[in-house]
Parts: sequence; structure tokens; C-alpha cells
Amino acid sequence: MTDGARHPIVSLRDVEKFYGSYHALRGISMDIGEGEFFSLLGPSGCGKTTLLRTIAGFEEVSSGHVLLDGQNMDGVAPNRRPTNMVFQSYAIFPHLSVAENVGFGLRRSGLAGDEKARAVDEALAMVGLAGYGARSAQALSGGQRQRVALARALILKPRVLLLDEPLSALDKKMREQMQSELRRLQRHVGITFILVTHDQEEALIMSDRIAVMFEGEIAQLATPQELYRRPVSREVADFIGVMNFLPAEIRMGSGTAVEADIAGLGPAAIDSAQCPGALRPGRAEVGLRPETMTILPEGAPGEGHVAQGVVAEQSYYGDMTYYVVRLDGVDQTVTLSMKNRIGRAVLEPGMPARVSWDPRALLVFSG
Amino acid sequence: MDRDARRGLLLISPTALYAIALLAAPLAAILLFSFWSQDFLEIDRTLTLKNYREALTEPLYRLLLWRSLLISLAVTVVTVLLAFPIAYFVSFHVRPGRKALWIFLITIPFWTSYLVRVFLWKVILGFNGVLNTSLIGIGVIDEPLTFILYNANAVVITLAHAFAPFAILPIFVALEKIDRSLLEASRDLGESAMSTFFRVTLPLAMPGVVAAVLIVFIPTIGDYVTPRLVGGPDGLMIANMIQTQFLRLNNAPLGAALAVVAMVMVSVVALAFIWLNRRWLGGDGR
Repeated sequence: MTDGARHPIVSLRDVEKFYGSYHALRGISMDIGEGEFFSLLGPSGCGKTTLLRTIAGFEEVSSGHVLLDGQNMDGVAPNRRPTNMVFQSYAIFPHLSVAENVGFGLRRSGLAGDEKARAVDEALAMVGLAGYGARSAQALSGGQRQRVALARALILKPRVLLLDEPLSALDKKMREQMQSELRRLQRHVGITFILVTHDQEEALIMSDRIAVMFEGEIAQLATPQELYRRPVSREVADFIGVMNFLPAEIRMGSGTAVEADIAGLGPAAIDSAQCPGALRPGRAEVGLRPETMTILPEGAPGEGHVAQGVVAEQSYYGDMTYYVVRLDGVDQTVTLSMKNRIGRAVLEPGMPARVSWDPRALLVFSG
Repeated sequence: MDRDARRGLLLISPTALYAIALLAAPLAAILLFSFWSQDFLEIDRTLTLKNYREALTEPLYRLLLWRSLLISLAVTVVTVLLAFPIAYFVSFHVRPGRKALWIFLITIPFWTSYLVRVFLWKVILGFNGVLNTSLIGIGVIDEPLTFILYNANAVVITLAHAFAPFAILPIFVALEKIDRSLLEASRDLGESAMSTFFRVTLPLAMPGVVAAVLIVFIPTIGDYVTPRLVGGPDGLMIANMIQTQFLRLNNAPLGAALAVVAMVMVSVVALAFIWLNRRWLGGDGR
């Protein structure tokens, strides 16, 4: 779903934000489509929350424009924007009951009392909290507070729902459950969701598209698959998932073919389409994902590209084992992951390992 | 009794003994006195409700009790209304590094004695006082204002000033405790800044406001220094009469009965406030 073809509901035009001399947002321009699940992903301090708050209206842009559904939002207060937000702390009103929290924004809706009550019940049912209305908001668990915050925002039928790291305070099990629930909910209501997260796995699982941000700039805007398979820079590749980087020497071949001599792995012919940046002969780095390499069983015939090494570390995850293998002849290690199949022994540190790898999985980043 | 309970009792016993000796015992004595009666120089120790009948029917005492209640309520309302904006300003508009300094500045009036501050108000509010001479000087008035000293207004002004820091601090603390994202959430859900104040900020600040009300109301109803110094005849309060009964008229039982009546009044008002606060906060009584 890579469409900029969808009707854009949020449009950012050269958005800049300064706090004093600190440049928090640098020339952000993008369109977010109607009904899209969009994530702003980046390390802390990259400006993703600032950008979300700019869309919500809590921060004024220093220059540039935020357009919501084609309307310029310059100087429009948060209470007059067609957006609602789920705050990181959930911001549940402690002096109100669950139902009063969920119905908070309906005061100006013009609905009659019983219509409001029905809307609140529906919203609570939608997030799986039917029957919780009379409870005190303070008696809720973290996951329940999150659901109340969602119901409170969605009851107003915003054009855009903004979520500021909504899952970061939950434990792992709860987080995974909420990830799929949020996704299902978003498909159900069809509202655009913009999620801020520092968790790349979360962004990959949930999003239609992801904008990766570094230091106030968008480093890459792509679908999860594109982002994982075709990161545009070494920085993005490093941030998304695990990526091994090895120094290499690049020689240009004929046509689209490129010759790379990779430290510890040896020579390989690769296609120039595997080089996201400008391709230059000379020193470069190649990136390899852990799951694209395997350790061959002892005595198995080594076909194709095989490198020799020794297991340096091993981490057992149950379904997978992650190995750090020190490659022979160079001071380089690679991390690779192996599925724990029946009959496949888990190797211990110090054991020799023959690493099979595939040049088609390589990415080349020219220095 | 287990070890923890015994250790707990041991820990609180100095304070508990002190409280019993200096608070509970005198209270019990006052209560007992109020049921006795004065027979010239002797105290008649037969139990009687005579003092209470007198305290509640004698027009002068009723007037003084009523006036004390009104003045205390006025002081409380004025103090809390003046304190809230100051607390709000310090909590919301002073940058975090400066808040401690502001709170420190607010407590500066405490560096001088209460008595000195009351005397200063006399100087300010007097017939030829600072206020009158300045107002005449700049031509706002021709004659000195007389309604500002030696009456109930003067008592309210003086007490409101004296108790302002006591009201500012609990309200400030309550405001500080409000998670700022709650205010953003309210804006986000469609409320203006003004309605956010009434729907979120004020309800969440209520525990501080109630604490301020109690801290101001309870001591002011029993104050006798300020009414004596700036109140004039029309500004005297029940505590002045209690003092008179004990020390001048040598009628301790009647003084005790008046004190008990005043105490009951304070308790009733205080309990009403606490009850209202619980109702507001959905019964969780924070």
C-alpha cells in the first residue's frame, strides 16, 4: 500500500521547528493518506513526538504549513482541529469515572443525554471495556487505561488519530496483544492513525507506511518491507532490525554488474540495484541481515559462497538461536540467526562454523 | 500486641503524651467547666446546661458568634480567591528553576511578627494612615475613608493578608501535582482554555483549595488579637468575649461554654467542607 494516490488527509509542507537555537524539525514535507496506518519511527530526540504535537496543534510550526484535509492549520488551536490524540501517559482524568472520561469530548456534540450514554457504551464495547463505565478511572490497569484513552479519542470520530508511544508503558505480552488490537481497530474504523514509536519492530508490524526520522529529518519514508529490504542509508539499515556491516572493496563491472571483495567473506558479483546510494568504486560497506546466512551442518557439502569462522557467542531464544561468528583471517564478526529445527544441534562458543551466505541478499553502502 | 505495633506505640508515645497533656486534657477541662457554673468567687460543680442556654440565647453572644462566623467565612473566601491566582501563576507561568524562589518570597511576611504586621495595617488603614493620605494626595478622595479601620472590614483585610501564604501553599502543591498532559488532553478533546480550567484544573486543584479553606477558616474564627487591635467595637469576635469572660468577668464556665459552641461551629463547617470535597471527587476522598 504505497499510495500517495490516496486522498491526503495530513499534508506537511516544509515544516520547520526551532526551540531557541535548537533545530527540532528540518524541512519536513510529506502526505499521509486517508485511512492509512502511518508510523513516525526514530530514536529518542529525533523530533517524532514534536512532529506529532505539531499536527495536533500543541506546537506551532516555526515555518512551513500543516494541512489537515486540505485546510491550513496555521494558528488553529488543538480543540479546533479534526485530530484526537492518545497520550503517552494516557492522560486519563483521575477525577472522573471511566464513562465520564470517554464522554468528556461529547459536551459540545449536541447529543442528548441518552444518546451520549449510548455513544459511550458503544465506544467502550469497541475497545473491549463494555460494562466498565461506572468504575473509577484510577482503579484501571495500564492496558485498560490505554483502552479508555483510545475510546475517548475515537468517540469523537476524528479524521486523524494521533498516538504518542501508546504501548511503551505496557509489558511485552500486553504490548503484542495491543499491537494487533490497534491494527484491527484501525481497519474497523477506517480512520488515519499516526503512531509515534521508537520500537522498529512495532512500526514494522503495525504500519502501512513508516517515516524513519533522524535529527529532525525524514531519513526514509517507505512500506515496512521496503524499509527492511531496501534501507536507503547505512543509518536506516542499522536502525531497522539487525544488520551486519562488513568493509568491502568495490570494482565496477560491465553493465549493471558490480564486483565486491568483502572482508572475511570473499569476492562476489552483485547487481547495482543492491546499492541504494550513489555507487562509487573503492571502499564501501556491505550489509547482510542475520537471517540471510546459515551455518552449514558438519560434513555437509559447501555450495556457493561459504566462509569459515568460529562461534564467539550464542544466544538461545527458544524458536531461534542467534550466533556471533568470528570470521577466519579478518577481525570481523557477523551475527546470524538460525531456526531451531528438530535434529539441528545448537552450537557452543568455540566450535568451528561454516557460514553460507547469498550475494543476492547484500546491500552496498558507498562510504 | 505484636512487635511492630509495640514499636509503633513506643515511637509515637512522646508526641502522643504531649498531645494528651497539652491538647486533650485542656479540652476535657474546658468541656467540664462548661457544665459547671460560677457562683461569685466559688465554682459550683453541679452539672448544668445554664451556660449553654445563656450562650445561645443572650443577644450579645449570638451576635458575636454570628459575626465571628461571617468574618471567618469572609476572610476565607477573600484569602482563597486572592491566593488561587498567585498559586496558579507560580505553578503554571514561572519556569521550574524559579518556583522555589517564588515560594520563598511568598513566605517573607512570616519573617516579621504577627503583631507587628497587624500594627502595620493600623498604620496603613488609619484615619491619617498611608492609604488615606495617599488617596487624598492624588486627589481620589477628599475626606479620609473611615470604613477601613476599626470595623469588620479591617479585620478581614488584616487576616486575609496574614493567612495568604497558608492558602497559597496547599493550592500551589495541588496545582503542581496536576499532570500537564491532562490539560492538553482536554484541549485535544475540544475544550477551550477557559473550559479546561473549569473542567480539569479546578476540580483537580480542589483538594488544595479545601485544605486552604480549612487552614484559614479554623484559626481565624478563634482569632482575638486582630479584632482587638483593628476591629474597633463593631469588629470584635467571639474569642474576645471568651477572653473577657475568663480574665475580666471571672466567669470561666460561661467562657468555656462559649468556647465549646465556637468549636462545634468550626467542626460543623469543616466537616461540611470535607464532605463536599469527597462528593466532588467521586468519593475517593483524596
